[in-house]
Amino acid sequence: MSNEMSRMKFFCDDHRCIECFACSVACAEAHELPTGISRRKVITLFDGIEGKEVSTSIACMHCTDAPCEQVCPVDCFYIREDGIVLHDKEKCIGCGYCLYACPFGAPQFPRDGAFGAKGAMDKCTMCAGGPLETNSEKERHLYGQNRIAEGKVPMCAAVCSTNALLVGDAESVSTIYRKRVAGRGKGA
Amino acid sequence: MTQQFGDAVNAKVIMMIGANSAVANPIGFKHFLQAKDRAGTKLIVVDPIYTRSAAKADLYLRIRSGTDIAFVYGMLHIIFKNGWEDKEFIDTRSYAMDQIRAEAAKWTPELTSDVTGIPVDQIIQATTLFAKNTPSAIAWSLGITQHSVGSSNTRILPVLQIALGNMGKKGGGLYIIRGHDNVQGATDMGNLADSLSGYYGLEDGAWKYFAQSWGVDYEWLKGRFFEKKWMNEKGYSLSQWWQGVLQEVKTYSSAPVRAVWIQGTGITSMSQQAKIKEALDKLDLVVIAEPFVNEAAVLTSRKDGIYILPVATQFECEGTVTATNRSSQWRSKVVEPLYESKTDEEVMFLFAKKFGFYDQFVQGMKMGVKDGKVVQVKNDFKWPDDAVREIARTIKSIGLSGWTPERLRAHQENWHMFDPVTLEGKGPMKGQYYGLPWPCWDDKHPGSPILYRRDVPVAEGGMGFRNRFGLEHNGVSQLADKSVTVKGSKIEGGYPQLTKENIEKVLGITLTEEEKAQMGGSWAMDFSGLIQQKAREAGVCVYGNARARTIVWEFPDPVPLHREPIHSPRWDLVAKYPTYEDQPKNFRVETKFKSEQQKQDWSKDFPTMLVSMRVVNLSGAGMLERTSKYLSAITPEMFCNIHPDLALKHGIRDRDMMWIHAPQGTKIKVKAYHNHSVTPDRICMPYNFAGIFQGIDLSANYPEGTKPYAIGESSNTITNYGFDVITQISEFNAGLCRVEKA
Amino acid sequence: MKKSIILFIALLGLASVAYANESQIWGEMRIQNILGYGQEESLKLGVLFTMLQSKYFAWVFLGVLLGVPLVFFLHYKIVGPKVFPHSHKKHYAFNLFHRTVHQIAAVSFLVLLPTGFIIVFGDFFGGGTLVRMAKNLHGLFTIPFAIVVIPMALMWLKEALFNLEDVKWFMILGGYLSKEKQIINATQFNAGQKMWYWVAILGGITMILSGAFMFFLDFKMEMLHNITGLSQIDLLRVAAILHNVMGFAVVALFITHVYMSMFAIKGAVYSIITGYVEEEEVKILHNAWYKKLKEKGKF
Repeated sequence: MSNEMSRMKFFCDDHRCIECFACSVACAEAHELPTGISRRKVITLFDGIEGKEVSTSIACMHCTDAPCEQVCPVDCFYIREDGIVLHDKEKCIGCGYCLYACPFGAPQFPRDGAFGAKGAMDKCTMCAGGPLETNSEKERHLYGQNRIAEGKVPMCAAVCSTNALLVGDAESVSTIYRKRVAGRGKGA
Repeated sequence: MTQQFGDAVNAKVIMMIGANSAVANPIGFKHFLQAKDRAGTKLIVVDPIYTRSAAKADLYLRIRSGTDIAFVYGMLHIIFKNGWEDKEFIDTRSYAMDQIRAEAAKWTPELTSDVTGIPVDQIIQATTLFAKNTPSAIAWSLGITQHSVGSSNTRILPVLQIALGNMGKKGGGLYIIRGHDNVQGATDMGNLADSLSGYYGLEDGAWKYFAQSWGVDYEWLKGRFFEKKWMNEKGYSLSQWWQGVLQEVKTYSSAPVRAVWIQGTGITSMSQQAKIKEALDKLDLVVIAEPFVNEAAVLTSRKDGIYILPVATQFECEGTVTATNRSSQWRSKVVEPLYESKTDEEVMFLFAKKFGFYDQFVQGMKMGVKDGKVVQVKNDFKWPDDAVREIARTIKSIGLSGWTPERLRAHQENWHMFDPVTLEGKGPMKGQYYGLPWPCWDDKHPGSPILYRRDVPVAEGGMGFRNRFGLEHNGVSQLADKSVTVKGSKIEGGYPQLTKENIEKVLGITLTEEEKAQMGGSWAMDFSGLIQQKAREAGVCVYGNARARTIVWEFPDPVPLHREPIHSPRWDLVAKYPTYEDQPKNFRVETKFKSEQQKQDWSKDFPTMLVSMRVVNLSGAGMLERTSKYLSAITPEMFCNIHPDLALKHGIRDRDMMWIHAPQGTKIKVKAYHNHSVTPDRICMPYNFAGIFQGIDLSANYPEGTKPYAIGESSNTITNYGFDVITQISEFNAGLCRVEKA
Repeated sequence: MKKSIILFIALLGLASVAYANESQIWGEMRIQNILGYGQEESLKLGVLFTMLQSKYFAWVFLGVLLGVPLVFFLHYKIVGPKVFPHSHKKHYAFNLFHRTVHQIAAVSFLVLLPTGFIIVFGDFFGGGTLVRMAKNLHGLFTIPFAIVVIPMALMWLKEALFNLEDVKWFMILGGYLSKEKQIINATQFNAGQKMWYWVAILGGITMILSGAFMFFLDFKMEMLHNITGLSQIDLLRVAAILHNVMGFAVVALFITHVYMSMFAIKGAVYSIITGYVEEEEVKILHNAWYKKLKEKGKF
């Protein structure tokens, strides 16, 4: 039923990303995150180098073969049928293994554990909340908004000023990107 | 701007000069990126710094700040030499291009390269790309306007577009990008010291016209001024109001300025901060009416006679705002003003009541038009609808007559019925453009998304160039050529702007006695609306169909000329291209030009060029954004981008503190960020910080609990002395400094 | 003493908060780390860690947890323990300092190992509060061990150095495979004990450092970056792999040590309680040491 192309995916088109931080700030605002935690981060490489500078937006990529889910010792991750990778903060022990496994550095650890050590892991949920009751106060408090359940687009892609950040099922996202790439080819 | 952002997709090439839209207008920039993707549009960026916009450019040209006129003449030289200009357009729709040709002939690629710092081959490449792929468009903002020659910069770029025939068509034109939402609206409403609202100026005729619309006695208005002459005088400008307090140079007013009321403007984003501080300290009274603590309150060391009034934000009030593309949007109140804050108008009404002119102040909102006369039609007013009605009734100069509250509310409620790229309405909104971009001549007019199109009937947003400067100059007719007919127009070719006197002749009609009695003197001062009505019937635009003049004979430089910035790194070029003579009275202040520029070779002691930049998370004085924790986290401290070579020459390592000294003797202490977007001859920093002044932390001056998350030095403490000769805007974007390890 | 250590660790933890903003894992480094993950030139430590942790680590630990005791159970049944009478003379070999240090280490291990296992098999225990508590206890009890590991290393360093006799010891596996009481020419510590010493000390220090690295995550270690050329995230991956692999060895040998001292050699446990060693046991199992002590007139 859940085939590869109908899984939810993010894609950041770095030809469009201008490092405006809208995605990062909107996410932090929507989920009321503490300032140290950036579920979504915007980065510029080769800043100021003519012809090389590129900006992009990074968060959890909700991998099909999510390494975080593979290494978790308490098995707190669950991958939804639509491909969104979520985890249970109440099960999570804050060990950090998911961070070591993640190629994108998505898992983050607020310093609210014992002795100021890291607490439970926090990461982008693609605005799909968590295992608690949908749109309950507790879910919102722990995981942030559950926009997917309300049929809304994840916050970051919704506010992206240049439509660099695309989200949706892999088929639709690749169609949009393919059109752009084809358009860029002509008139060269 | 003459276009609207969605039109970018029709341009073959877009040249951004003195604009960094990726940072200053991300959503606007999206349209440029979409044009690149969907239409193969090429983007040229001309900027002293390799900005985020430059990173998306197909061609980037690094220009020395303040040399834009030279660059454009360099382009025009190549264009005229190769015969790439649109001769028909020049001959039929413009005036005095020969004088431009003469000046352009001097600007060979080699000379242009020497002055601007752009390599010859890049100048040729950019010009070829831009001129041979029309329609092409130009975008600019503060990088062009904020210079001592700003008023020439903003003329030479339209001249370029006229030469290429890029005006009045899709894909061409000028994207003069305004910053905040409603900067355009503020300009239209005359938040300037040299005009009444709607660009009517300060002549008696304008005052009488407004007195009529406001339902207020002209004599009473006159009586508000100390002497009649001040009624027609420009006021102090935002750039040098402090001279009215300090009077260190000759100023012209009935008395020194003793009180200042600051409402809705970030004082710390103005140049000469040290002088502003002195002025704030010296005043008898300072009132600050803002939603957040305006850092003018923090900059001053006064302990008394300073009041901070809490004013509501945009979410707590209702009204209209005008976007950079001239569209108006109705904005609803989302929440009642919080705590003790009051909306801007409430503050003003209370002030007016206190000082005894409230009735006159609000009278205009109770007026309406009957038989061509403005009379009182109601006993009370509804805010903001009646204010919008007053604007629509009064501001005919830019065609706001069609901006009725009913139409604008309808647009707001039906966003989904408008195409997001073309602005065209569908269904019940068909035949209208979103926000009715002005000019919107009457309440049936759809708005004019693209200006000066003669291939579209006036009733659908078309028009020629405005007839503003007389019917002839030096024996040459200022009206458009016979061949330049606006589609659907009864008149062939050019025609003058309509007045009561000439309307019968121009339109070939006869007025009834009743119409003659009701009609106003000219199209811009006709309450009856009859002139517009007759014009509509004839398919004619009330403001005429004239030639665009490429010279401005009222200005010190009728032909735009390159002049070096007041503080120039090229002493040799200062001799060849000096700035203007000192202006004895510029917005009431004696303003120095040549005497400052040529006092000494500034580049000896101040060898580094000073450029200012925007950051995407802060705007203007930054006091709003720096109170947001997420936005502050993006730039938690003031910084300066400096090339590693320049920095290390002074022993300044990455993230070290450094002093930057200005020619006027001020200095700031900022953190150095090694960065390659600048070259070793210039440094670049944001201007949106305040709270630290010349190394001294002013944290203690913030009222308890109001200190923002991020404070820092204001770059305007070191912005060099320099002002535009016509508008008096500060020369923020050119200047010199010296760096030193802290 | 313990209080100030806790305070010290807490301060380190709080100090890490300040570093979070210039994080070595997030911020600018995030992209550099991504580029490293699977590229040709990178060490692919992330891939390696994922593969090891998802497929092997837990199984190996299970194998060690069940297999090693099983082997010793069989040994006990088949070969049986060595029994020495404890009625003869005794020698006071381990003073109060030795024993205290050893006891603290022992108690630490007795918490560290089970809590470590709870973490490894966290999903079996349902995650959440229990496993989180185990993780915190695991971290907490690292502290006493960290305090005693250096004194312990130093106090027995001389005795723990290997010599040629140890080769002979290994060849007969210390005589533990036969029921006979063979004379073994070992000094105070035989090769088996020495082996345990080095694993416990070096392995233990490795466990402490790699564990601390993972516990505190963002700790700035410029020196380490410069020496190894690895980014923080790669260092963390190395730490994780090292901690687990070293863990196999430490667990296996700890179980061995407990078996040997409490079951296989009856009465040996008194060394850690009273500090006395029994004459015949020393004579048979540590004959070289016995001779030396005899010369000094200890027996």
